[in-house]
Amino acid sequence: MSKRPLILVVAVISLGFSSAARAQTAADNQAQQDKWNNVSPLRSTYAGKKSGPAPVRDISGIWDAAFEDGGRQTSGAKEHPAVYPGNKGTEGGHPDETGITHPLPYTPAGLAALKANHPSGPSVRQVRSAISNDPINECDPLGFPYMELFELRTLDVIQTKNQVVVISPFYGNYRIIWTDGRELPKNEEPRWNGYSVGKWLNDYDFFIETNGMMPQSWIDHAGRPHSDQLRVEETWHRVDRDNMQLTLKIIDPKYYTEPWLALDKFPLHLQPADFDIQELRCAPSEMVKYNDKVGGVVLEKK
Amino acid sequence: MRKRAGIVSLAVVGLLAVSMPLLAHHGNAAFDSKLTTVTGTVTEFFWANPHVLVKLDAKDASGKTLHWTVEAQNTVSMRAIGWRPDTFKPGDVVSIDVNQAKNGTPIGSTGGSSPTAPKRRIIINGKQFQ
Repeated sequence: MSKRPLILVVAVISLGFSSAARAQTAADNQAQQDKWNNVSPLRSTYAGKKSGPAPVRDISGIWDAAFEDGGRQTSGAKEHPAVYPGNKGTEGGHPDETGITHPLPYTPAGLAALKANHPSGPSVRQVRSAISNDPINECDPLGFPYMELFELRTLDVIQTKNQVVVISPFYGNYRIIWTDGRELPKNEEPRWNGYSVGKWLNDYDFFIETNGMMPQSWIDHAGRPHSDQLRVEETWHRVDRDNMQLTLKIIDPKYYTEPWLALDKFPLHLQPADFDIQELRCAPSEMVKYNDKVGGVVLEKK
Repeated sequence: MRKRAGIVSLAVVGLLAVSMPLLAHHGNAAFDSKLTTVTGTVTEFFWANPHVLVKLDAKDASGKTLHWTVEAQNTVSMRAIGWRPDTFKPGDVVSIDVNQAKNGTPIGSTGGSSPTAPKRRIIINGKQFQ
């Protein structure tokens, strides 16, 4: 009996297994690749999903701001964007914020300080990038609270025995919040992120106070100023297992006649523990390369 | 032979063909609101911040080759709408709808990168990318 049909069958079966193995390897490879540089889910992803009970005294995890909830804050702090009703005025050119939808209570000193800041983001006082004096345009640190009031995308919150560490990918920022009972310092040298202490108000509300922020930092992308008297209060409210709300209050009696909320129960969504946050850094060398590749062409007259 | 005094002149190396801005990074106000379709061959794909760039050579109406720079948003925003570091390769033939610079230079913007907004039309080697 000829052995040829048997050899043919074995060859076909081998080919089949080989193809399946290659497909499995390709799928495995793609699955491994997909673990990196994860993309933020749209808000619709969470619709209809049931959460679980909030863990006690725990705000740790990777927390993501859905795009639709307005974390980018390119026109200024979410609760007080520097735009006219109907989102108009983003082309800039206006001397102050008169007429914006939710005006801020500036003191005379605060208004003068506002006018000294020239923002380049889409807002009523936007200026041409070439003449903006936003420190972050030179890759200076965002500092606090700017790091939560501009490009608020994904935060990695880590709790240790005596600290809460908040890591933000935008500009590679991080904050340390001490939970060891220490008091805020008085008259310490200013820092970009200031000095922060935190405590639990109850099992689900973590309260943070921050002072001592660098005077040349801005509050937000609309150029809101702050004085050396700035104090920021935050409440991180763990709603349930998968949801958090972030409230951030600005208190600066030198520049604002009363405190104001920059964020009010801003929603954050818990991501899987293996969510890989993308980098979004301001690297001076990359800025040089970018400028070279754009060719030095002047798009705006000085 | 009478020696002549040597006259030494220095070329002004710093004189450039175009002005060098302090910072080329610019705001959206520099771009026209209407869309222009640019069709050409990719010469470089720059996947970095502050802006992802697609450089391509495209012919204008007279047949002259223009060196276009198409500017997108940052890498994170572009990933959110499906771009990847290997989306474009040198040699790809592409058509992209852009907002051209108001001053007429061959620079265009792909606009915002909202993952919920309609995407700009991009054709790569005959296939619609988005």
